This record gives sequence, C-alpha cells and structure tokens, in this order.
Amino acid sequence: MPDQEKLVIMVTHGPDDPELATIPFAMAGAAVASDVDVVMGFQGDGCRLVQKGVAETVTAPDFAPLAGLLDSVREFGGKLLVCAPCVKSRGIEEELVEGAEVCAAARFVAEITSATSTLVY
Amino acid sequence: MTTMLPETELAGLTADTVVDARGAACPGPLLEAKKAMGTIAVGNLLELWSTDPQTGTDVAAWSAKVGHEFLGHVVADGYDRVFVRRAK
Repeated sequence: MPDQEKLVIMVTHGPDDPELATIPFAMAGAAVASDVDVVMGFQGDGCRLVQKGVAETVTAPDFAPLAGLLDSVREFGGKLLVCAPCVKSRGIEEELVEGAEVCAAARFVAEITSATSTLVY
Repeated sequence: MTTMLPETELAGLTADTVVDARGAACPGPLLEAKKAMGTIAVGNLLELWSTDPQTGTDVAAWSAKVGHEFLGHVVADGYDRVFVRRAK
C-alpha cells in the first residue's frame, strides 16, 4: 500500500437525487478531514453537481448542504475531475465551478488504478 | 490514540479552543474539528459541541486514524461535548 492513501469517488447521480448526490460529498469530506487524498470523478448526470450554481440547490434531509461540502473538499485539496463527453452533451463545459477539471476516460482509469480504494455512487 | 477519561473528569475540563458545530449534520462537525485542529498548538485541547449523536464515535475514529488523542464525550444540555487533544 502506498504511504499516502488515495480515495477515488465516482459520482453518477445529479441534483434529481439529492441523497445519492450528497453522500459522495459527505464521504469525500470525511476523507479529506482524515488526511486522505481525494479525487472525485463526475460522470453522467453527476456532472451537473459541479455546474456553477447547482450545488447550492441540493440539500438532502439530515445531511450537510452539498455546497458547503463541496467547498470543504476543495479547501482541503480534493480534486474534481469531470467527464468530457458528459459535460459536452449537457452544454455545460464553460459553466463548471472553480477547480473542476474536464478529462477523458484514461485519466479516470489512471486515478482509479493508482488509488487505495474507489467508491462508486 | 484514545485515552478515555471518566465523564466527571471530562465535564470539568477547560479546553484551549471550543468549536460550536451544533446544528451541523454529518460530516460537518468532523470538518469543523479538522479546521480547528489546524489553528491550535500540539498538546492543546479542542472541545467540539455537536447535536449530531454520531459525532463522538466519528471523532473517535478520526482521531485514531490521523493520530490525535480522543478523550471522550459527555452529554450536555441538548448537545454533546467532544474532547480531543492535538497530538501531532
């Protein structure tokens, strides 16, 4: 196992499912707080969560608001990778939050195969 | 590291820093603890207030993972007081 742990969290649910949209951010928040490197990967409708202004609209009952969790993940160094064709098909390439990086499949594969663990939501 | 203190002893502790995370949902209190730990000196004591009933066990697990000293938690008036000492 590498000295520095890394967790990849793949997010495929968007704002239409607030709970499954928020849980990966809660896990990411706990991970960055625990000094684990975090890479969040957004695919499918999950991409909508890193479209400017969308996180602020998502709150799941009994969870912390998604926007605050997103801020914490970024504050503690979490990376946000966004699927290129997914954002293109939604026409949101130019509307992503600060820190979001558009990438293709090979980058996701590289991040996942070098991670300690991967979670898929 | 965990050094569980009796509740009577915990209740009488005076922390160097108190963080009020009451009303925050998981993992909000943990993130507040993480932020606060970055502002206090090694050896200092953090007291975290939380209305999330899982915060005590969450902070205990977090402390064990990152190397801080978890001292325990006591129930106050409608919230928990969670004590952890910065150890590194």
